[in-house]
Amino acid sequence: MNLPRLLLIEWKKFSPNATFRAMVVLYAASFALMLSLARLVGSNLKLTANGQSYNPTADLFTYPKNWQLLAWIGSWPNMALLGFLGVFMITLEFSNKTLRQSVIFGLTRKEVVVAKLAWVIMLALAATVFFLVLGMVGGTSGGTGLGFPSAVGLGGFFLQVVGYLLLGTLAGLLIRQTALATLLYLAYVMFLESVARWIFYFAVTKTRALLFLPEQVLSALTPLPIPESAGPMTRGLSLPLSPLEASLMALLYAGLFAVVFSNRILKSDL
Amino acid sequence: MPLLKVNQLAKNYGSVRALDGLDLTVEAGQIFGLLGPNGSGKTTLLAVLLDVIRPSGGSFLWFDNPQEVHVRQRIGALLETPNFYPYLNAEQNLSIVAAIKHVTNPPIQSLLELVQLSERRHSAYKTYSLGMKQRLALASCLVGDPDVLILDEPANGLDPEGMIEVRHIIQKIAAQGKTIIMASHLLDEVEKICSHVAIIKNGKLLATGAVGSILNRQPTVEVGAADVEKLLQLLSGHALVQKVERQGGRLALELSPGHLPSELNRVAFEHGIVLDHLVLKPRSLELEFLEITRK
Repeated sequence: MNLPRLLLIEWKKFSPNATFRAMVVLYAASFALMLSLARLVGSNLKLTANGQSYNPTADLFTYPKNWQLLAWIGSWPNMALLGFLGVFMITLEFSNKTLRQSVIFGLTRKEVVVAKLAWVIMLALAATVFFLVLGMVGGTSGGTGLGFPSAVGLGGFFLQVVGYLLLGTLAGLLIRQTALATLLYLAYVMFLESVARWIFYFAVTKTRALLFLPEQVLSALTPLPIPESAGPMTRGLSLPLSPLEASLMALLYAGLFAVVFSNRILKSDL
Repeated sequence: MPLLKVNQLAKNYGSVRALDGLDLTVEAGQIFGLLGPNGSGKTTLLAVLLDVIRPSGGSFLWFDNPQEVHVRQRIGALLETPNFYPYLNAEQNLSIVAAIKHVTNPPIQSLLELVQLSERRHSAYKTYSLGMKQRLALASCLVGDPDVLILDEPANGLDPEGMIEVRHIIQKIAAQGKTIIMASHLLDEVEKICSHVAIIKNGKLLATGAVGSILNRQPTVEVGAADVEKLLQLLSGHALVQKVERQGGRLALELSPGHLPSELNRVAFEHGIVLDHLVLKPRSLELEFLEITRK
């Protein structure tokens, strides 16, 4: 199996597509804009205590928390835009019957699976590189110098992108219609899981297992570097997910999504 | 050496048997038509052979070699409607096909010339007419110079001019010695293009062989006489006649192989019957097809 050839095929398919291009531009622009806004708001924030004024967010814009903040900011376009991209890239194939056509042209089903998964990894790498560049160029403000994000922080961001892209891809594969799949994907990551978690938390049990649901895990990969922001429910569950827990669970979910995706492509009629 | 051998192939959709234990053999160099009414299982058969539908049972073998790893690169296929990326132009779409088929320097320009699309090669696929889409699909089948072409209803939805264009392209391709497997419900199309045919109905193979032997177009003879009853009595069971039936005031009959209408006239006259009507009517393909599919 020739991986560069499979990636080239995906590139040829998507790079000229207007929606794909728009999403990429929107992702980069919204990420950078949100960072600028955060810096603007943060730098103007002043609180007074004991007669002395101070900026409570100053810490967030200095190394190493600046990278955590940047990753948290990035988690929003990751969830909304890259998740949608995952949906779109698969429903585009189904609405035009081009996935089926690729097999007719001679691509094996295994190659279809590998191509899609490899393309997701490449997009996640590209997003992570952008995250790194954005952080280097505009993510620091005063403080203790530039520095690099930790491997855990960088890996967490990468895993989060992979997770959202795969979740979107899976939603697209199972539903096959762009509008409906996007709606259900966004509904799930934005409130369905949270609502289910809240209901379970208040009506059934306050188990910590509620933190291991997919969206919780993916968002825990890039936490806002303010512990108090975790919310009453997380406090009630004693401890938020540690970076290691979140990473391992994200890997597990990514693997699970990939297995379901592969199984569906390999075994069902196209 | 059979190019394709299908053995007891089955595909069920719930209680519906789209393919019902189908056996088929296609030899290299044949232009093989799959003929059958809509819903007979032609497209399902081709989809199974191309791995887009999983069979419920049976097996098939391409190129008589289970170890052949480049099977799909040796096959060019058009299944149902042409499916391409609507925002890409003809060249971009064909370059994706070439990448799929491991073709490094595809002769895209000459392929587009063959299907008369070179002038529109930079136009987005979504701007093409149905005929142009069908022609691009034919060009895509030829990328990588495959040994076998699978065409499913290649003239479907085309106007008469488009049908003729597509037919000419297929005949050009066939002249290069390629094997073509073509599904169609158009008898005329199959008769004009194919050398061999298989007739399928309800997922079952009804008949297969050379087109001439399957679609037997021996003419019907229509005869009339003053006393039709007497003529009917004479010809019923006569060695000269294979089949006879009364149609109004006349008789429609099929002569036994090797006999001529003039013999019919002589036999009638010898029995004191003067024929006042004797017309040779070419047997319609539709009639032939209906007879086979009604069996």
